[in-house]
Amino acid sequence: MQLRTDLTTREEQAAYLAEALAGLFQGPAQPSPIRGGRRAALRRLRAFNVHHYARTRNDVVQRGVSMLSPYLRHGMLSLAEVRDSILGRFGITPDTEKFVNELAWRAFWQLVYAHLGDRIHHDIEPAKHKARVPRRRLPPDVTAATTGLVCIDESLRELYTVGYMHNHARMWVAAYLIHWLGVDWREGADLFYRHLLDGDPASNSLSWQWVNSTFSHKPYIFNRQNVERFSAGTFCARCPLAKVGCPFDDSYENLAWRLFGVTLAELEGRR
Amino acid sequence: MSGGIVWLHGDSLSPTDPALVANPTAPAVFVFDEPFLATAQLSFKRLFFLYECALEAIAGRVGSIRRGVVVDEVRAFAAEHQALTVHVTASVAPRFREYVAALRAGGLQVMIYEPPAFVMWRGEPPRRFSAFWRRVAAEALQAGNSAPSLPATEEE
Repeated sequence: MQLRTDLTTREEQAAYLAEALAGLFQGPAQPSPIRGGRRAALRRLRAFNVHHYARTRNDVVQRGVSMLSPYLRHGMLSLAEVRDSILGRFGITPDTEKFVNELAWRAFWQLVYAHLGDRIHHDIEPAKHKARVPRRRLPPDVTAATTGLVCIDESLRELYTVGYMHNHARMWVAAYLIHWLGVDWREGADLFYRHLLDGDPASNSLSWQWVNSTFSHKPYIFNRQNVERFSAGTFCARCPLAKVGCPFDDSYENLAWRLFGVTLAELEGRR
Repeated sequence: MSGGIVWLHGDSLSPTDPALVANPTAPAVFVFDEPFLATAQLSFKRLFFLYECALEAIAGRVGSIRRGVVVDEVRAFAAEHQALTVHVTASVAPRFREYVAALRAGGLQVMIYEPPAFVMWRGEPPRRFSAFWRRVAAEALQAGNSAPSLPATEEE
């Protein structure tokens, strides 16, 4: 079936595509505010200022990140083009070195995918530690972004409405689903893959395996202090569970014991 | 008999796709992979993003965006243009290799173009990124000459 290519406004295109691709997607027929195409990619690249990247890239609110991932994933820009543009404009600095290091993650995931193929969707290594919580399916409050945890819900809402989530928030949500809720990493990876504009089999599944410790040497966990620090306290300030009931409000030592029944040193493979 | 067609896929959907650039007058096709998408049930946002990318990629040439079985649609498009060759940029996805094999089995010649390399790497990658980075950092941090021209700030 041939699709129309003559519609000019986004509204017309979206209404048309929703009919033309009926049965092939899930959820509302709303485009992301992030536009597709090489021109949009170049505008994004031009707008990115790498100054302070090393310090601000993990901050979910400040967002010193490039947001180029949807364009890199679909070949609007190559890793080499982005590297050459950034080094050409900003030179070699600690910020540009860190940025190129992050670009290299994508190159690494692609090489692993080229080598392992569809095996990336199964445990690559045994989990180094397994959460004590009973295994369960993805709960409805996660798909509805109504867990009551502001840091999780806001990240999920952005995923569902924009098709984007900051990398650090991805790590929080993935760790929460796997280690606190007992959801299989593949279910979480499927959820992300369905929504992320940069959804890539390699980057997505392998990052979930990194959090799960089936492609890393320890499970990734975080605590409230980490959320506070990398969101300038804004999530916790608005969170109804901030005073009582925050599942992340603990030391790493206690979380290692609560979640996995081991000491922090054991969790990190130091003992 | 024409010089062939270009098959665009979701891993390389830019007007700068190497297969497109190498064949500036060739007709181009992108296919929404119906059996895959019917199972994957991605969000509409993702499909619309791909549609916008595909529209821009084929602008200014004979192009087609389709829904269906990829191999069948590419084959039909090639037949419409009396083409015996399909030009396409490589992907590491296993499904890509299957589709290329099916096109070749159906009698078409498939010319595969390599996407631009970030670093040179041969063989099996290490299990950890840190080991990978140690080996490629010096090369990765060498600026090449592929920086694209950026649009003026007022161009939106």
